Amino acid sequence: MIDQILALTWKDLKIFFKDRGGVALIFLQPFMFIVVMSYALGSMFEPGQDRIQLLAVNQDRGTQAATILAQLDDMEAFGVETTWEGQPLTVELAEKLIVEGKRNLALVFPPDFSDALEQDPAAVERHTTRVAAIVDPATSSQFVEPILGTLQGLIERTTYTAMVPKGLDYLFEWLAPQTPAGQREIFKAQAQEAISGGLLGGKEPVVTVERTVPAGMQVAKYPDSFQQNVPGYTIYGIFWIVSLLAGSVLQERREGTFRRLLAAPMQRAVMLTGKLLPYYLINLMQLAIMLGASHLLFGLSLGPSPAGLVAVSLAAAATATGLGVLVSALARTEAQVGGLTVLLLLTLSALGGCFVPRFIMPTWLQTIGLVTPHAWALDAYQDLLVRGYGLAQVLPKVGILVGFAALFFGIGVWRFRFDPVEG
Amino acid sequence: MSEPILIVQDLHKSFGEIKAVRGISLQVAQGELFGLLGPNGAGKTTTLSMLTGLLSPDRGRITMKGLDFRTHTNQLKARMGLVPQELALYPALSARQNLTFFGRIYGLKGRDLRRRVDEVLEMIGLTGRADDPVETYSGGMKRRVNIGAGLLHKPDILFLDEPTVGVDPQSRNAILESVEALNRAGVTVIYTTHYMEEAQRLCHRVAIVDEGQIIALDTPTALIRSLGGGLIVVGLADEAAETVTDRLRSLPAVQGVQRRDGKLHIRARHTQEALMGLLEVTNHLDLLITTLEILEPNLEAVFLNLTGRRLRE
Repeated sequence: MIDQILALTWKDLKIFFKDRGGVALIFLQPFMFIVVMSYALGSMFEPGQDRIQLLAVNQDRGTQAATILAQLDDMEAFGVETTWEGQPLTVELAEKLIVEGKRNLALVFPPDFSDALEQDPAAVERHTTRVAAIVDPATSSQFVEPILGTLQGLIERTTYTAMVPKGLDYLFEWLAPQTPAGQREIFKAQAQEAISGGLLGGKEPVVTVERTVPAGMQVAKYPDSFQQNVPGYTIYGIFWIVSLLAGSVLQERREGTFRRLLAAPMQRAVMLTGKLLPYYLINLMQLAIMLGASHLLFGLSLGPSPAGLVAVSLAAAATATGLGVLVSALARTEAQVGGLTVLLLLTLSALGGCFVPRFIMPTWLQTIGLVTPHAWALDAYQDLLVRGYGLAQVLPKVGILVGFAALFFGIGVWRFRFDPVEG
Repeated sequence: MSEPILIVQDLHKSFGEIKAVRGISLQVAQGELFGLLGPNGAGKTTTLSMLTGLLSPDRGRITMKGLDFRTHTNQLKARMGLVPQELALYPALSARQNLTFFGRIYGLKGRDLRRRVDEVLEMIGLTGRADDPVETYSGGMKRRVNIGAGLLHKPDILFLDEPTVGVDPQSRNAILESVEALNRAGVTVIYTTHYMEEAQRLCHRVAIVDEGQIIALDTPTALIRSLGGGLIVVGLADEAAETVTDRLRSLPAVQGVQRRDGKLHIRARHTQEALMGLLEVTNHLDLLITTLEILEPNLEAVFLNLTGRRLRE
């Protein structure tokens, strides 16, 4: 029996590796996705790599707009452009650049911007103005809102700083009019420095925001785009085994090799095991190559738990092979195999978060995503690779993946036919 | 007949409403080359599928080498070989790799397996191309590998399902010669075909199958002899002429007359004399002959006489 299973397995592996195009597709396709998408989305995970370019039209008669633009430009995420091809930007030019799709957003600072910031806080009539943000309507608010929020924060800080001298003059006149002019100036300078971030004489701001992780997670390295993309596209890639397996089953049915094998002294369970084992092994090879190559070439961290990695990989590969059995059992023609494979794999991969992280999807879609094995496999890999979990913590997700595999195998084996006229 | 190696009793198989096999019974002797002859869709392949364990019969019993097939399935499968109608091979693998794989499935291994693969390659005349992928072979070469894959484990009984379909005449002849050689070497062969020439040339006995039933079973010689000197199929303008039948039956050269599908099937003791008699009778009765066909005595004519249809319709 074992020899028959090995003979069947070896035969399919030989056939698989003879088809160089097929081998290239199954290994290279997800790998190319990983490389292209990781570099394409690199700026999302590594600030400063590729800055968001903002157009700025500065009509301010004073200096406050220039100060804010300089602060924006100092940030890693943004690059401020006040000229275009050597010409100072105007509102018309900025609008033209947005219409042409060359930029998404332009900030227009009005001539009275500094006047508004530097006005007397005790003035009876407040001078108000507005900064216009000209935005391409096709730009998502998820992109625009953080930029406008940052700008608003900078304006408020600059406003406080600008208002301090006049505000303090007002306070001195009201509370201590006899204070000498020299002392007033020293006090005003210290207060301004404090408000602009140098309180108590130090160079560090009083309050900083520090990034941290929940208890139990050990992050050796914050995720870069490879850390995010490798698990996603690897899972997407291993499920393409469905197409190979279902195609091979269909071919054996059509060409009569299953008929010949059915006439041999062999149990059907042995035949099925021998047919599936090579594809399971190919899946494991895919996982090893994807993760190994990404580790060696791109410095992907494989996390602290090799045992966890093995457990998740074994379960994920079983799920993919199980889905292959299910499609093999349901599809009767090549067109059905092709259609069903593409429909299932693209839908499940998308819903499962292989292409776009699930956390940015609407809540209802995130919930639907939980019915895909992709979501659980991806989450389990991210537990290990990104969150630094160990085997014990990923075991529940491994269990769910094994459940998916059992479901797929169960229905698949129940409906499986070796021969078109098999009764 | 020597000891039967295969006994089939009242075999039935239906697919939904379609009754593919309806009560087939036969016995095959050890060392016999037995033919199942019939048109496409007659039930030959379904019968063969049940005999080789691919399908379970709805009813009936198969006994092979004295053992019930249902209770000794794997034991009996190990002693039989199947050459399916399709080219049941892996095109990307070479002939040697295909044969090695099927050999392993039948439990051969190591040196025995390698030696047996070499022997079969020699037998099918492909030693020189043994390591080329099967997909690069001609149709005839593929057919030979297809047969070779059924022989690796030296079966006692070999089932060949239309092994010459789509093969050029030269390759067909080579295949028929190798089947004859196998049978001479002692292998019992069950051979299905819809080519009457093959059944006539190869088979010791032939069962003619139509619509899931055996309608005649005998040696080709005896089946052909039943036709006499030949078969004349004649169509007359006036179908109602009952007197024609009676007058033809009374002719000494005529062995028998049947009316099928509006035509008269005249089994002739002497074809030429029967034809002359037919013309005299029709002239005398002033009947118009619309079609006339004279068939030499062969299995095709036997089938036509039995069913009113041709084997290849």
